[in-house]
Amino acid sequence: MKRRVLAGVAVTGALALVLSGCAGGSEESTDAAAETTEAAAPAEETAAAETAAEEAAPVCAASIAVMAPLTGGAASIGQEQLNFAKLALDDFNAANGSEYAIVESDTQLDAGQASTQATALVSDSAIVAVVGPAGSQEVSAVGPTFTEASMAFVSPSATNPALTNGDNPTFYRVVPTDAVQGPTDGAFIAENLGAKKVVVIEEKTDYGKGIAESVAASLTDAGVTVDVISVAEDKKSYDDVISKVGDDVDVVFVTFQIAAKSEQVAQSLVKAGKKAVVFGSDGSFSGDFKTPGSYVSAFAPDIKQVPAAADVAARFQEAYGDFGTFGPPVYVATQTVLQAAQRACEAGALDRAGVLAEMPNTNIAGSILGGDIAFDANGDVQGAKFYIFQLDDAGVPQLVQ
Amino acid sequence: MGYFVEQVTNGVIVGGIYALIALGYTLIYGVLQFLNLAHGELYMMGAFFGFFTMIALGGPSAAIIPVWLMIVIMFLVAMGGGALLGVAVERFAYRPLRQSRRLAALISALGVSLFLQSAALLLFGAQVRLYDTGQFIDLRAGFNIGDARIDITEVLVVSLSLILMGVLWMLVNRTQLGRAMRAVAVDQDAAVMNGIDVDRVVVITFAIASGLAGAGGVMAGLLLFPVDQYMGIFAGLKGFTAAVLGGIGSIPGAMLGGFLLGIVEALVTGYLNPTYADFMAFLILILVLLIRPRGILGQRIAAKV
Repeated sequence: MKRRVLAGVAVTGALALVLSGCAGGSEESTDAAAETTEAAAPAEETAAAETAAEEAAPVCAASIAVMAPLTGGAASIGQEQLNFAKLALDDFNAANGSEYAIVESDTQLDAGQASTQATALVSDSAIVAVVGPAGSQEVSAVGPTFTEASMAFVSPSATNPALTNGDNPTFYRVVPTDAVQGPTDGAFIAENLGAKKVVVIEEKTDYGKGIAESVAASLTDAGVTVDVISVAEDKKSYDDVISKVGDDVDVVFVTFQIAAKSEQVAQSLVKAGKKAVVFGSDGSFSGDFKTPGSYVSAFAPDIKQVPAAADVAARFQEAYGDFGTFGPPVYVATQTVLQAAQRACEAGALDRAGVLAEMPNTNIAGSILGGDIAFDANGDVQGAKFYIFQLDDAGVPQLVQ
Repeated sequence: MGYFVEQVTNGVIVGGIYALIALGYTLIYGVLQFLNLAHGELYMMGAFFGFFTMIALGGPSAAIIPVWLMIVIMFLVAMGGGALLGVAVERFAYRPLRQSRRLAALISALGVSLFLQSAALLLFGAQVRLYDTGQFIDLRAGFNIGDARIDITEVLVVSLSLILMGVLWMLVNRTQLGRAMRAVAVDQDAAVMNGIDVDRVVVITFAIASGLAGAGGVMAGLLLFPVDQYMGIFAGLKGFTAAVLGGIGSIPGAMLGGFLLGIVEALVTGYLNPTYADFMAFLILILVLLIRPRGILGQRIAAKV
């Protein structure tokens, strides 16, 4: 008992010292202010008025969810996406004095898991918007839940064109669609690579189906012979599929969302002694896909080469290490929902409906992706394009278009 | 004909891995009449053990020892690590429940499965790993069977699978330990009365089965399968299917089931559609179970009523 009393006295004394220190500082400030000239008074008044205004303005605070494959086969992508979201949030809070927070949501790139997670997010009233999910099939799965909840959600990587056909009115994305990717890749394969025969390996997912159909149509229009082979998402070995690829095939186009599978296909082709080169859609853009001479398309440039992104890229590398192309669009997607939330907050309506109402007004000038970000009436980003890279002898992507 | 041979060859190679996993299932079931549903996760851990051994020895492109020695060490570490893990799992998750109802042990096995997946996530990180076999083995080197190109990795995988299966068969059928295992499988109480240390036999059984799973994991990595913490779920399912198909409890049955499953998948992929491969494999399983419930090589067990 005696000890408790002594401890209480000690704590009270320490608090008194701290408070008196603060008060002393304040007095010193007051004394210093008294010594200033009258000419400085208007400036002081202005500063005081601004401070008062800042103090009067509410601190905007809410949660945004980040849906990404934080575990599972695409976890390396998901972790990169989450880290870019954190960086964007920290930057935004620092610049605006806001107190937004992130709620992490692991979808494992699985539509069922995404649907379950969406229901949980909707039940959390602090969440006003969502960044993600990553995959097209996941967007399809969560669309009805978020529509009913008036929850704006912005995907950094879902590219199936059908997602913005009106079924998901609260959906936005910061990357171009496969309607852009398919013709871009198809034209490159037909014209730049001069391919006459192409095998498209279509993974049975919304994403794989969308891009496979788009590329196949583009190639067929260009007079290229196309053979589509469908494979299940959980297929583990591709040697038996590669046996179906003839010696006269020039390009094998793969639509996986896990780059390691594209590498499997490329290595199976090497083993089989086939001449075909692998061309991966944007899902293959990762360090796991590294067979030299292969091609891969991406919805974002290598932002290390974008001047406006130099600072963000450097700080990300310092904090989290190297990155690919899946992360930077998350930075932009996070910016879009935070800006909308901030505008809603300033309008006194920081809730899901308020954020959703502000989404069409998005305008990020000079984004880290190398251009301005604004949405069209469907929720697609305006003027976006796909980039094509070739893997050099070290397996590092080099921009070729 | 050449294409047929090529697809059968593809099936045999993948089937070799299925067979190794099936052997683990069948061995444990044969001795304990218990389905170790965490067996696929031991295969996954073996794949990781092999991968990190390779990294510790310089990585795929800069091995600090001869490649053949690196591969031998990878297998030894994966099999040893798998065996130790299997023994630990038996000691802490299954042995306390040995006298309980089978459902309790089955639920415990499911828990172990989830535990090992999460442990791998925490220990090894979330990213997919690739062995990059092409960096230390020339994948173009090999020989042809008809039009089928067989590379050195595939020769290694199939040969090692057959050797391990042969050694296991010899162990069970030609050694004192094997006799003890068979005795425990028939009647544990009678085995005890005849001086057999049942706990020791069970521990050794788990060690062997888990070691085989570890070897299967390294084989999968060498064959360019992506290595991640969830790879055991699917492989475990396939191994279990192979074991049931061949006749669970039968070593030759597990081998036959594994190869049969791999060949069916490859032929369906080659001649029909890759998306039907799993469907056809499981359809055959159902048909076999309907027509011959004990599996292809399974023995009829007379039940005392």
